[in-house]
Amino acid sequence: MPENERFLVIQLARFGDLVQTKRLVLSLMRRGEVHICLDRSLARVASLVFPRAVLHPLRAHAAGLAPGEGAATAAADNLPALAELSALGFSEIYNLNFSGLNYALARLFDPARVRGYMSFDGQKTRDAWAGMAFRWTRRRGACGINLVDLWAHHAAAPVPPAEVNPAATPKGGGVGVVLAGRNQRRSLPPEVLGPVAAALWSMRGRGQLLLLGAAGEREAGEAVLAHLPKVARGAARNLAGRTSWEDLAEVVGSLDALVTPDTGTMHLAAHLGTPVAATFLSSAWAWETGPYGAGHTVWQAVRECAPCVESRPCDLDVACLAPFASQDFLRLLTGRGAGPLPGLLGLTTVFDPLGADCRPLPGVGGVDPHASGRAGFRAFLSRHLGLAQDAAPSPAFSGGEFLEERDWLSAPDRNRPQTTAT
Amino acid sequence: MNRRLRILLVLPLYGGSLPVGRFCAAALTRLGHTVETVESPEFQPTYLALRGLKVAQDKLEHLQNSYLQVVAQAVVAKAETFAPDLVLAMAQAPLSRQALRRLRALGIPTAMWFVEDFRLFTYWQAFAPLYDIFAVIQKEPFPAELASIGQANVLYLPLAADPDFHAPRELDPAGRKRWGSDLSFMGAGYPNRRVAFRQLLHFDFKIWGSEWDGDPVLAPYVQEGGRRVSSDECVNIFNAARINLNLHSSVDPARLVSGGDFVNPRTFELASCGAFQLVDERSLLDESFTQDEIARFSSLEELKDRIASFLSRPDERRDMAGRARARVLAEHTYDHRMQRLLDFCAERLEGWPRQRAAGPSPEDALPEDLRAQLAALRERLGLAGDVGFDDLVWAVRSQQGRLGPLDTAVLFLDEWRKQYGLGG
Repeated sequence: MPENERFLVIQLARFGDLVQTKRLVLSLMRRGEVHICLDRSLARVASLVFPRAVLHPLRAHAAGLAPGEGAATAAADNLPALAELSALGFSEIYNLNFSGLNYALARLFDPARVRGYMSFDGQKTRDAWAGMAFRWTRRRGACGINLVDLWAHHAAAPVPPAEVNPAATPKGGGVGVVLAGRNQRRSLPPEVLGPVAAALWSMRGRGQLLLLGAAGEREAGEAVLAHLPKVARGAARNLAGRTSWEDLAEVVGSLDALVTPDTGTMHLAAHLGTPVAATFLSSAWAWETGPYGAGHTVWQAVRECAPCVESRPCDLDVACLAPFASQDFLRLLTGRGAGPLPGLLGLTTVFDPLGADCRPLPGVGGVDPHASGRAGFRAFLSRHLGLAQDAAPSPAFSGGEFLEERDWLSAPDRNRPQTTAT
Repeated sequence: MNRRLRILLVLPLYGGSLPVGRFCAAALTRLGHTVETVESPEFQPTYLALRGLKVAQDKLEHLQNSYLQVVAQAVVAKAETFAPDLVLAMAQAPLSRQALRRLRALGIPTAMWFVEDFRLFTYWQAFAPLYDIFAVIQKEPFPAELASIGQANVLYLPLAADPDFHAPRELDPAGRKRWGSDLSFMGAGYPNRRVAFRQLLHFDFKIWGSEWDGDPVLAPYVQEGGRRVSSDECVNIFNAARINLNLHSSVDPARLVSGGDFVNPRTFELASCGAFQLVDERSLLDESFTQDEIARFSSLEELKDRIASFLSRPDERRDMAGRARARVLAEHTYDHRMQRLLDFCAERLEGWPRQRAAGPSPEDALPEDLRAQLAALRERLGLAGDVGFDDLVWAVRSQQGRLGPLDTAVLFLDEWRKQYGLGG
């Protein structure tokens, strides 16, 4: 392998997705120089998370552009970045997002070198691994892996999962509260979030209570403050809109715990080894986008309809929110109550050879209704990825539904080592 | 019909209409339309591979039919993606009846240029009504028969030539020696030709083309082992011969001069090359050429006389060939045919072509230097300067292999527009 081997990771999605690319980036860094193509709004935080990577910012997000000028500005600004990327020779290009912008970018490169989503002479396609992931999302309950691992396994032999992020360890700086995720239905409203934050703050020693968010969430922060008990309100500060990326990393990296829905800040905390206490409901599913690292906690709403599709209206008035509003949950957070609670799993994050997994907290976590199916799925996937070749296939889970003839009949699967018998 | 259109041209898997289809694609492009071609010949090896299986006949037929359905579905998928104003199919294009019905349901107009003899190739009865426009190379009774089965939009559209390709060509002495002769014939060994040509062997005669096997009398005259001759080599032959014999094919050896109606493509191609030809009389020949432009014969005896006569009159040969070429340039190019076909579509198809949603172009707000770069890109891609952004995107996307930064920026801009809109 040439010493100067160079890789490109195209990650055009949001903050959280960028951080979740870490296992892939670390894996490629063991083999050579890693470049990341990303939206320019994330360049600063990317330099904090990936200080050794070469960044290629371009305009992939319309936010912040004047109405009517976005397309023209993007085109004019992006051309030099595209020229720079085109001039660099990359051994492999990891194109991670299923989006038209990514497909367009892929045309800069020889499609034979592109992993994930590529275009052959104008025909959009995806490799076998990405195709398989699309198939298993039809059975999200039991089937699915952490997005960090999905992206990492685009490359052969990714770094061991435990080497990606530090284990969750309290840092002594109090409790942080993330005010909202991008999807409102996945976030706790202020009247629920306030008491939950206060309960965790009480359990964690009653230090600082810092509300974190963007400028647009400052008002939500005030609403949360109004729902805090008086004693907690005195310790609280609304930092929404007051933190740069550097400030945010510093604050999050100093906390004892971070209360958060499924957000980019949650992934930043996992990156820094700050313990996460996440609230997952609606479309958020801990086994897909839970915090990556050992020892984090996820409170996962589980109903028949979970996980749902965020873009579809909820006919049940977001019934999965109810457990988070219950007194029993607050008692559980403060260590005075008993679990498990109906409609809610308490999970802790662990690792297996495939990557990150979530298991019920002993005693209070409850029973994961998909545990058996998930174990079969993970065993199948581990065998498929060559991580557990000696393990016997599960008679209850062959994985046949995830294998398509065209994946092995038409061309070699570049994600898998070829073991042609001689 | 002067609007720039999107046209999906469907080639056949093989056969005589294949080169005609390629000439049509070139002509439509020259006329300023965005043309996407379904390269059906690329699907033929698999079809032939099925024949090599040596399985029971019924199984083979099932496999072949199933495969052709897949190819037809591929054409429909292409049409759905490309959203053409017209799907133009050449004779034997792999469009099944099911596929034609699907295109009709999708509201995508279809036209066929049926460059076959309707008396021999009778399958048209099965699919002709499923096309919106049916262009043919024969006159009555064919249009009446088409009308009787429900196809009223029939256009008489004779064959043509591509003057960019079928052009006068100077050959060096070696080329003239290889390709030239007093009398030359280029084509396949149909029964009427085999019988007729035995009577021409006292001339300096060269026979080019394939399917002449098994005739020991003609074998010494068949050139280069009777191999297939490329279209480009045909132009050499046409230009090198003093007299090009053009005898329309017939499967009936009893009628050496068949006296049929349609005019074959070779008539136009020879004329376009400025090559002299003697062609058998056809009832539709006067529609395209006068007696002063192309010399004819009605019998074998007349043919022999005229060969002998014209061999001794080079100036007359040259003048006639010149007039024939001028007539082609004026009236019988594929550009003329395609324009006529599109005009006919506009006459017969209500509301055609459908107006595309007009909105601001993403290019409008681009900085001046970037617009200048896109103008240069249009030129590089062979597009007219006023081709719209959608068609520019299609042309950029259709390129092979890696793209440059500017091309990629165009695709990125297109995707940006789809994702965020132009207001974003």
